[in-house]
Amino acid sequence: MKYYFKYILSITAGMLLTSCDPLVNQFADIEDAVMYRASNIKNAEAKKSIKVMTWNIRFGVARLDFFGDGCGDRAILGKSEVVKGLEGLAAKINAEDPDIVLLQEVDVQSKKTAYIDQAQWLLDHTDLNYGAYGSMWEAQVILADGLGRVNTGNLTLSKWELKDAERHQLPLRSDQDGLTQYFYLRRNVLKAKVVMPGNSFYAVNTHLTAFATDDTKQKHITGFKDILDGIVAEGKNFVAGGDLNALPPNASKLDYCIEDQCSGESYHTGGESNHKEGAYFAPEITWLSSLYQTYTPAISLSEYGEQEGQHYTHSPFDRLQLDRKLDYLWTNTNWNNGTTHQGATSLSDHIPVTADWMVK
Amino acid sequence: MKRVLPIILVSIVVGQWSGNTATNMGVGQKEIGLFTPYRMGLNNGSELIINKFVLMPSIGIKQEQTMFGNWQRARIFRVEYPTMGMKWLQSPLGMKLGEPDMFALISPEFDIPHMISLYGEMIGTTGSPWAGQISLYSGAGFALGGEKLDGRSTIDLPGFYSRFSVYYNGFIIKSGGEYLRQFKEQWSYIVDYDMYIMPGGAGRYSFEQKGLIVWTKSPKLQIHFGYKLIAGEYPFGAQAHLFPALDFIWRSDAKHN
Repeated sequence: MKYYFKYILSITAGMLLTSCDPLVNQFADIEDAVMYRASNIKNAEAKKSIKVMTWNIRFGVARLDFFGDGCGDRAILGKSEVVKGLEGLAAKINAEDPDIVLLQEVDVQSKKTAYIDQAQWLLDHTDLNYGAYGSMWEAQVILADGLGRVNTGNLTLSKWELKDAERHQLPLRSDQDGLTQYFYLRRNVLKAKVVMPGNSFYAVNTHLTAFATDDTKQKHITGFKDILDGIVAEGKNFVAGGDLNALPPNASKLDYCIEDQCSGESYHTGGESNHKEGAYFAPEITWLSSLYQTYTPAISLSEYGEQEGQHYTHSPFDRLQLDRKLDYLWTNTNWNNGTTHQGATSLSDHIPVTADWMVK
Repeated sequence: MKRVLPIILVSIVVGQWSGNTATNMGVGQKEIGLFTPYRMGLNNGSELIINKFVLMPSIGIKQEQTMFGNWQRARIFRVEYPTMGMKWLQSPLGMKLGEPDMFALISPEFDIPHMISLYGEMIGTTGSPWAGQISLYSGAGFALGGEKLDGRSTIDLPGFYSRFSVYYNGFIIKSGGEYLRQFKEQWSYIVDYDMYIMPGGAGRYSFEQKGLIVWTKSPKLQIHFGYKLIAGEYPFGAQAHLFPALDFIWRSDAKHN
């Protein structure tokens, strides 16, 4: 009996380990990005000045009450709601007519957004032609909150062809238990070569951790900068950006615990010293300094310091009054016309930042 | 609770749909499996089939029919009330959205209405275990009350999607077959195939194919192990999954009159 039982259990365990698809894609350190192409390719000439946009689009659900990043009570949005959100995003993108777009929080196959492939949808509803996608959360099922299947990540769109696109894994959060970490987000940097006729350069896109309570975010910033440094070391130029979930070093307000608290939560009102995850920036306020010291931002520190409120890019929930800057554009050369589009507050919980990059 | 949860989850969906021969159990004989329902032979040529997962109550009866040539025939009627089970799947550990609501397979934002499904099946079996026994079946089911169920609340996972689809689509067709052959005194194998047709759903079909080695350890215990392949269409597209299959089935003796 014991012999047979062990034999049966061994075979079953072997099948379990070898035959099932993994629930969660854990990704290699460096992987090829998933490439996209618009259904109709639009003609795109070479330019001397290229308009670049970065935008965290909150998976196309605008300001709806999603539970995961705010105080909402919804997990699964309707198809018509998502399409309406995408239409708003596409209208803004078409109005600005950028040549390169760095998007974060793009769903390509998620139950929460009706399984719409937002990468293909945006390519087919804008003048952009090519896309490269790097997932930050890909799972057959998330065993919590009824979220179901998820695939969301960073998407770089371009009028010109993208080549050699790579997804670079960033360190996982180190302040979580093993089970939570297994099912949690896997942040990354998406690097792609833009093949503009007569010139090529890199577009680098990222979305760094928001809620880590240890030094994971610092590791992410370092990982992002290392990739930019590598491009420069090759003698190439880059445009880069994304949602860094970090404040500029000269930000005047560092604690958003009260602004971000949901009903039933209480911070700092009764002498509590604990902070809400992702809402207290004081310990990390210098972490972006190395980027500012090495590369050129679309909005300089001095400009930000002089008109701080004009360059806020985010506010949580359905609150349209922007209250912090989390989104950035960087280059190793120079920008012109850095713009923070504060009129777009209803389209996502972040707003786009654009700038013109002078081709060298 | 977390340790037994996977067994409960699997039992929910396979518990009321297994057993594919026209042969009835002996009078008073009882059978229960880790992942299969409770069965009991009745004295009027019938067999009672009950899902042991009480939050997903399901009761069925298999009745012997007259022979058709070499084919032994039976019919199965089953009724199921899924509402309590689906509500439980919205918060298996009693947690709220975002806490996080661990192991919730259906978002708690959706209302689960009172629903009921009725299912009927004809099944025929010919041959013998030593020579090879073939069973073929075909059935259809429909549901009442599902029109109030939000279409976004589906569980888009193998096994779950097809079995709950009747509540979203209102109708399901199921057919398939099984081949069983005994090759040693205590050993036999089963090759099984099931097909779900789900008209009107975002996922329209599902195929399940199973290969099992059966070890009859004693007259009271069988151990099944092998694989299960599920290929089907879901709201996000088509996908196939291969799973290991393992079950322990305990059976009591029949009464002797």
